[in-house]
Amino acid sequence: MGHYIELSGFDLFLAVGLIVIASVISISLRLGLTRSLMVAASRCMLQLGAIGIVLKKIFQINSPILVIGWLAIMLVMAAREAVRRSKSKYRGINMDALSTMTFTSLVVGLLVTQVVIKVRPWYDPQYVIPIFGMIFGNSLNGICLCLDRFLEYLRSRRQEVELRLCFGATRQEAVIDGARQAVRTGMIPIINNMTVAGIVSLPGMMTGQIVAGASPVQAVAYQIVIMFMIAASNALGAMLLATLAARRLISNYGIELNDK
Amino acid sequence: MDETQSSKEDTGLKGLYCGPIDFTDPMGRRLLRGITISFTPPTLCVITGPSGSGKTSLLRAISGLNKAHVPKRRLGNRTYSDRRLPEWRSKVTLLLQDAPCIEGTIRDNLAFAFSFKNALNKEFSEKEACELLKRVGLDHFGLDHTVNGLSGGERHRLSLVRGLLWAPPVLLADEPLSGLEPELAQVCFELLYEYSHKRPAVVICVLHQERFARQADTVLRLKDGTLH
Repeated sequence: MGHYIELSGFDLFLAVGLIVIASVISISLRLGLTRSLMVAASRCMLQLGAIGIVLKKIFQINSPILVIGWLAIMLVMAAREAVRRSKSKYRGINMDALSTMTFTSLVVGLLVTQVVIKVRPWYDPQYVIPIFGMIFGNSLNGICLCLDRFLEYLRSRRQEVELRLCFGATRQEAVIDGARQAVRTGMIPIINNMTVAGIVSLPGMMTGQIVAGASPVQAVAYQIVIMFMIAASNALGAMLLATLAARRLISNYGIELNDK
Repeated sequence: MDETQSSKEDTGLKGLYCGPIDFTDPMGRRLLRGITISFTPPTLCVITGPSGSGKTSLLRAISGLNKAHVPKRRLGNRTYSDRRLPEWRSKVTLLLQDAPCIEGTIRDNLAFAFSFKNALNKEFSEKEACELLKRVGLDHFGLDHTVNGLSGGERHRLSLVRGLLWAPPVLLADEPLSGLEPELAQVCFELLYEYSHKRPAVVICVLHQERFARQADTVLRLKDGTLH
């Protein structure tokens, strides 16, 4: 344990062959995906390559300011992506997504890195960056699903919400059903993942740790922490975003869907 | 009832005062021009007027469901600012024009409001619900029947029962008799009249049917943004 096989540039070149297989299938079946596949593969290589270089530098310098700065960039990008992926938008959605992700990642991330794993020094990039990265990536998915479901509810069940308002419901009471449905939707993927973890698939982080030489038991322990962390961040993120969206979209006069 | 009646602002402990209401719709048409609503119970008021004259907007403005300019809302000796609109609506309750339902059973549809904070100590009475459902001819469904598939007329009757069970001091009804056979419409109108006089309450109805207007305590016509 504790060792792994290093990949050289030539090994990566061989891996390009795998993309060639996908391209050949695309060409022979006339899927029209060859160009997108090439662009995506190139972007993947360039982006990951750049990240590799940046992370290497951050790991070398090992400064808390750099780590926080890098996390802030990841946070903004994740919030932007969450908004971009949502099918419908409203005025103020960027702010809501950013506040939600900031709060969620701070609460869950600090709890996991400082209380559960007890990372020392507290900013150790080897732990802090991947863990926060996973929170960003996963709460992004949860938030997108939650937001789409909530906005869809407000559109399709507008009259129901109005009906509740007519009988004296507060804003929260008027949309509580929609918020519940939205948070539930945001949490379904992680519940499914936890249910099949280890049976249908070996989760990415665990696989990575095993390949990197960690003992499978430790890899499993980390994976459990990560899965619970994602469950917490999805629940918190979805609930918070539904609350913020409701505050913005429901006034005392009813639903105000200011589509962007 | 237009601005000339705003002097009647002091309507006693149970009176409704709302106005002067100004409302311009999103198309820029000024639909309501300084209308003041002022009634004391028992009153059943019918509002008529050509379509597009702003009758629905007027009821929504009283209820606080649109952005009409309403400087003062008062019920009895309490005034309600915009911040207290939910509380206002629990007392000045609007039955919406399309009689929407919430997903679920007839019971869910009649009882949901009783769990709201503003319901205070109101309690849903199954017995009363069954009696009212019987009077409007919906008793054959039973309280556990799902509302999916109810016709427009059935939804309107359910909406009326919901409003009467809620028993607010002011009930606003936007075309509550639409889609009803003449006999059922008469039964429902009588229920509204009975409610306004027994509780006693203020009931304001937007109606098209002239024959009902003749049976009301007050009939007002909305035209050119004012009530006549």
